[in-house]
Amino acid sequence: MTDLLQLLLAGVSVGAVYTLVAMGFVAIYTVSGVINLAQGEFAALAGLVAISATGSGLPLPVALLLAILTVVVVAAVMQRLTIAPVKRMTTLLSIILTLGVSTALKAAMLLIWGPEGHGLTPFPGADFTLGGVAVRAQYLWILAVTALMAVAVTWFYERTLLGKALRACAEQPTAARLVGISIARASLLSFAIAGLLSAVGGVLASPVYFSAWDSGLALGLKGFVAATLGGLVSIRGAIAGGLVLGVLESLVAGYVDSGLRDAVAFIVLIVVLVVRPGGVLRQHSVARV
Amino acid sequence: MLRIRRAGVVAATAALMVMIAGCAEKQTEGDSGTSSGPIRIGAVLDITGAGASLGVPERKTLELLAKQLNDSGGINGRQVELIIEDNQSTEDGAAKAMNEMVSKKVDIVLGASRTGPSLAMRAIAESAKMPTISLAANVRIVDGATWVFKTAQNDSVVLENIIDYANSKGWKTIGLLRDASGYGEGVAETLTELGKPHGITVSQIEKFAPDATDFTAQMINIRNAKADVNLIWGIPPAAALAQKSYHQLGITTPVLQSHGIGNQVFLDTAGDSADGLVAPLGRLLVADQLPDSDPQKAVLTKFLADYRAAYNEEPSTFAGHAYDAFQLAVEAFKAVGTDKQKVRDYLEQVNGFVGITGVYRMTPKDHSGLGKDALVLVTVSGGKWQLLPTS
Repeated sequence: MTDLLQLLLAGVSVGAVYTLVAMGFVAIYTVSGVINLAQGEFAALAGLVAISATGSGLPLPVALLLAILTVVVVAAVMQRLTIAPVKRMTTLLSIILTLGVSTALKAAMLLIWGPEGHGLTPFPGADFTLGGVAVRAQYLWILAVTALMAVAVTWFYERTLLGKALRACAEQPTAARLVGISIARASLLSFAIAGLLSAVGGVLASPVYFSAWDSGLALGLKGFVAATLGGLVSIRGAIAGGLVLGVLESLVAGYVDSGLRDAVAFIVLIVVLVVRPGGVLRQHSVARV
Repeated sequence: MLRIRRAGVVAATAALMVMIAGCAEKQTEGDSGTSSGPIRIGAVLDITGAGASLGVPERKTLELLAKQLNDSGGINGRQVELIIEDNQSTEDGAAKAMNEMVSKKVDIVLGASRTGPSLAMRAIAESAKMPTISLAANVRIVDGATWVFKTAQNDSVVLENIIDYANSKGWKTIGLLRDASGYGEGVAETLTELGKPHGITVSQIEKFAPDATDFTAQMINIRNAKADVNLIWGIPPAAALAQKSYHQLGITTPVLQSHGIGNQVFLDTAGDSADGLVAPLGRLLVADQLPDSDPQKAVLTKFLADYRAAYNEEPSTFAGHAYDAFQLAVEAFKAVGTDKQKVRDYLEQVNGFVGITGVYRMTPKDHSGLGKDALVLVTVSGGKWQLLPTS
């Protein structure tokens, strides 16, 4: 029982990071149909910037803010330079474009931070044991902040005018433009939101899971799988998808074979694409723009 | 319509160019190995990827040594040219880089840093008759090889030390948590074989990927196996993260680590959790604590001073593997020139070369040349390596 709880805790906490990255995928895809393969690199970049900032003596909160801000700016610049100039974006074209950006970001990170991985100093708080389950303070930070972000993002899309405007762009672009919503600005905003979500995931994960120039690849792929579980268009689906994927990985590693951990995401992806291409949580697929 | 299509094509091409730029490698032009002109030493190292904490200090060491050698006049009046390729810690990357080395006709190849990539290079070295000195551990790299040598201690030598230590402590069962890549292969089998005369058995085997970051599942299984002692067999940062996870889950069983952890990255990453672990490691890490009578002391002290002066950091045992490989190559070139057959023959009869990792005694059967005495038992206390007093 203790073992199960320990595995669940580890799974939920890594799943929370997938969730943040997955929400970023959904935020961008719903507005412009772009699949942003640089999503994982945003997380890696945030972790590395935060490590450098704390290393140069900045207090942790300032370093975190700086890292998140940097990534939001990078995401916005990326949208302006590579996504906005394309007149008629297709999903395939977006994949090629963002793969290029992702590779460029990776190369830049390799040049700046070198090949070795690093861990950010853990957030304040002491580790403790509860009923035989070892709990790291960082796990609680990850879970609490992810919950906060999830509620905030859901509230933003479902309750605020701006959020509703973004959803309108996704569902009826022509009608949205007729009522005065700028598609270009909506796309820019969606990239900023995605950058923010991934950056938060990146700095939260860094103390436990480390940041390196190439750590974005695995994070991005798993975030994408998590988003696919929810059909790529549902924030709630992405939240659930991330958590399910994390827990599944942890349980498979614990009870089946630890070598299969990284295979889980891809097996899940194949099963979902074959059985329920519209996402596990959706009743039926909706025609996309 | 045409404009739109063109925009798409331009964008796709731009993306492709960015990708190609990311993958581009420095090309070094050069002519074939002859008896005049610079002597060309190729090195295939794990500079990026899972083996980065090994490959980076190895590259630094090779660059330092090549510069020192050239400043002092080179080998018999010939300068040394160093050609370093990154295999990205992958087997196919290593094979590709090795093929490049062969086609560039270098005089010797050093590398790779880890077992998997080294094994991938072995077959090419053998068929191209290229003298090669690997920096990795697993005995399969040189077992039965003609052209391949290596400078890291065989894992069997390390495991002998571990079994002796376990025996002296009266431990009978060992829980093994090993790297799932080439470095960890064969460890359980060798451990079982060496432990048999002492009644020591491996009671649980868990694996982790070399780039793993979460070890909760493996640690739970190790904890439940309740062995007398646990052995973590990996390289940093994974080995350090495993050590941290071990400590964090409150497992109090004594823990041993392999000789794969001999660098500062391990200590920095593992932090307090490393205190009290025991590992058989090269003498470099505890050079200051060695008695003056130690045959390697002079070599170690000089290398430490040079490396610190050049890079303002501590060299790791992996830097030592690169040092030994480079110096062995230089010894061979000094003695017999660059004829590949002669270089190979020379390396095979090296006897008593004092390196950083140990004193080498190569034979046609043993292309590693290091015995049990190439390691000392080291523990960690207060974030520092401490020589364990021999009991």
